Amino acid sequence: MTASVLAAGVLEDTIRAFFQGLPIGAGFALVAMSFVLTYKTSGVFNLAFGAQAFISAATYFELHVRRDWPIWAAVLVAVVLVAPVLGLLLERLIFRHVHASSAVAKLVISLGLLVALPELFKLIVDYNREQPFGAVGIIPDGTTIYRLFGRYPVTRDEIAAFVIVVAAAVALAALFRNTRLGLRIRAVVQSPRMTELNGVNADWVSSGSWMLSSFFAGLAGVLLVPTTSSLGTVLEPTGYFPIVISALAAAALGRLVSLPAALFGGLLLGVVTTQMRTHVPRDNVILAELQGPALPYVMLFAIIVFWPAIRRQVAGADPLLGVSPPPPALAATSRSRGMTIYTRIMALAFFTAVGIFTFGYANNFWISRITHSVIFSIIFLSIVVFTGLGGQIALCQVTFAAIGAFGAMQFAQRWDISVMVGMLAGAAIAAAVGAVLSIPVMRLGGIWLAIATLAFALFFHDVLVKYSWVGGSLFHGRGVPRPEFLGVDFSSRENFLILCVAILVLVGVLVILIRESSTGMALRALRGSETAAESIGVISWRSRVIVFSVSAGIAAIGGGLLAMEERLVGYEANFDPQTGLFWLVIVVVLGTRTVEGGIQAGVAFVIFPELVLHRWLGLDGAWRYVLFGFAAISFARHPEGLLEHGKRRSQALMQSMFARRQPAMAPAGAGAGATAGDGPPADAGAHPGDEP
Amino acid sequence: MSLLAAEGITKRFAGITALDDVSIALEEGERVGLIGPNGAGKTTLFNCLLGLLRPEAGSVSFDGHDITRLPVYRRARLGIGRTFQRVELFSGSSVRDHLLFAHRIRSGTGALWKDVLGLGLPKPAEIESCDALLESLGLGGMGDEPIEALSLGQSRLVEVARALMTQPRVVLLDEPSSGLDRAETNALAETLARIQLEQGFGLLLVEHDVELVASFTERTYVLNFGRLITSGDTPEVMQDPEVRAAYLGDFVAGTQ
Repeated sequence: MTASVLAAGVLEDTIRAFFQGLPIGAGFALVAMSFVLTYKTSGVFNLAFGAQAFISAATYFELHVRRDWPIWAAVLVAVVLVAPVLGLLLERLIFRHVHASSAVAKLVISLGLLVALPELFKLIVDYNREQPFGAVGIIPDGTTIYRLFGRYPVTRDEIAAFVIVVAAAVALAALFRNTRLGLRIRAVVQSPRMTELNGVNADWVSSGSWMLSSFFAGLAGVLLVPTTSSLGTVLEPTGYFPIVISALAAAALGRLVSLPAALFGGLLLGVVTTQMRTHVPRDNVILAELQGPALPYVMLFAIIVFWPAIRRQVAGADPLLGVSPPPPALAATSRSRGMTIYTRIMALAFFTAVGIFTFGYANNFWISRITHSVIFSIIFLSIVVFTGLGGQIALCQVTFAAIGAFGAMQFAQRWDISVMVGMLAGAAIAAAVGAVLSIPVMRLGGIWLAIATLAFALFFHDVLVKYSWVGGSLFHGRGVPRPEFLGVDFSSRENFLILCVAILVLVGVLVILIRESSTGMALRALRGSETAAESIGVISWRSRVIVFSVSAGIAAIGGGLLAMEERLVGYEANFDPQTGLFWLVIVVVLGTRTVEGGIQAGVAFVIFPELVLHRWLGLDGAWRYVLFGFAAISFARHPEGLLEHGKRRSQALMQSMFARRQPAMAPAGAGAGATAGDGPPADAGAHPGDEP
Repeated sequence: MSLLAAEGITKRFAGITALDDVSIALEEGERVGLIGPNGAGKTTLFNCLLGLLRPEAGSVSFDGHDITRLPVYRRARLGIGRTFQRVELFSGSSVRDHLLFAHRIRSGTGALWKDVLGLGLPKPAEIESCDALLESLGLGGMGDEPIEALSLGQSRLVEVARALMTQPRVVLLDEPSSGLDRAETNALAETLARIQLEQGFGLLLVEHDVELVASFTERTYVLNFGRLITSGDTPEVMQDPEVRAAYLGDFVAGTQ
């Protein structure tokens, strides 16, 4: 008797969770279909959907809640007008022009937009982030509860979300089946350039699908507000991260190319989420986490790593894709002797001037800013190692930096060990974590590697930091002392700055040594052609584990120093995954391939917003996100970074001036005979069976 | 015992038998050709020898060791070098870098701790040996050129040089004549023959340019529809009526 009552209770719970899961899954499905649409039609893995969803939701909030517009008018503007126009602008102004770039370049651009768009919106609209949002949906009296079959409670909001998404999916299916646009989209998906050769304007098709996908993202943005806890009471772009991640997981189920798989994947993940919340016991810590914030990240990570379709997929199935020229050699490798001497004298003069200013005239504020930029230079060298040498994009450097900071803190707090030793131990832990993480993700490469590392970073952020053995306890606080070793006290600002500069020099030399030695050679070979590298005996997995863990260790050293500088682990301010995206963007924009590039990014990250934006132009510091975010567009044309690009141009100019005076010093025969039939190795088209 | 041998290799792709019980062998220092029309299974066999594909049946051995299950890089380290039909060079690196990388990886001096201590930087002796090899391949003075500045023929030679820097005991050449005109092919063949005599490595030439194979190899295997139709001394194979019927046909008729 009791057993059957219990069984009936379990059944009822299951059904209730099923009905609660569908609307949540509907939201995932909507964003997942957006991913598939843009990925299929323009090859862009658009992480900026989170930003687009946020903009629609925030516009709706601004109009309906703060300006008292009626719901229909606010929805019309926020979803039907703003969202598609935003999609159209992104396509016309940006993504159309990077058509032929690699998937990774497009991913970097979308990361830039993910950083830039919400900030731009906030700056323009004067969006008040402090005011509670109050979870207002787009359905009047959305919280009205109905009982399905007289039993299972669902709100009007939930019903609306589910019905709207199913209607959108049906409309989309009809569009693909029955219209010329649908046929063209399907053709463009197979191969944009091939389709163009057949007289179809692929650009027009791609505009259409961008408007459509942006509309979907905007719709999801407003629909999900009442049903999603991460959006909470204050609407922030980061609130959309878990949704975007779940949607990515759903889209990944269909390898990013199947719309039905994205729809059903989204619904499935929604139902799985609520079922886990209902049935998984809460007494186990790990299982309890899985019901909450950890679930989307774990799901995405697991799908990317274990889903067989993804293991087989290689980015760029278009046979005509991937013919863009390879990155040119570093400017420094081709400069003449005179140029080298000149550059070195200039650099020496610059650093002497900065040194004299810092130790002679600077006040505490500027010393602290300069120390910060030195520390961020160290952190950014980890991106130079991973992206510049390894040629891959990882989005979890911020996590490694946090591990370094927490490592220094924990060792100093718990065991009273010198904070320098703690920092090094933190770096060792980060390197080990990096090595372990690299094993499942490294063979993915390209966008999947970036996404898997983002999932890891968000997992750390939403789950691990809350544990006292990671993020410390409220009781102890997050204080970190300045170091004292070899009989020198580094607690004064000046001394600590000297220590940081010394470590920056050490790390910089280390990066150069690695780049120029065997490890760097193996990495460059792998980057140039993995097949050829293996044919001369390069062990690709070993090189990748090394680059992953060296880069993690460097980031952790920087993170530890940052905590010492600020005398506490400012986790929320410094090590948020959103901040990590901006780190990557700024380094990639300025130059990933040289130590110089990393240092310039460090200076730009700290000094530029303070000096140029704030003091000189009187602008909000948030403009840096907008400026560098949009500057990421340049990555498609100048993957070596803007500064390296500028350096090469100015160097060419100056060398031609030198050469006029000394005719013997002609520049090396660049470009001669570059028209070789087969040209540089392009790895496209060599993977049959990618996409039926 | 042969240096490199494939025994009874069978490889199927989705029901199509690309290779059916094929056996070939190559002795130390020997020049062997592998010919056949398009789709005969040459490249499949090539990839099975290198470890890029795993055959359903059969085994590959090198110097008496079974290497059927070894990954590509292990075979490379044992002494199997290769070139590519579609040139695979390391974009963004100079010509000399290609040789230097290969030398480094082969000599196994690539430990991270050495790099960190500054012991991993290129040494003058290494650079000298790279330049000497370039010189002997007719690429003297091109060490600093970016790889993108080379012609296809020169790129092929850089691939050969890169393979040779790993001190291979056998080099597998994948259609080296593709994309080259007759004069360029002849020049390449001449250089290859000379360096092979100098260094004495074994050479397996996969080609459909019959003229190149005829002028260059001692022994030849002929594949057709995944089966070995004949093998033997190159001049005899070229006269074999079955080969002429199945494959050479017009070519032989046209030149004689």
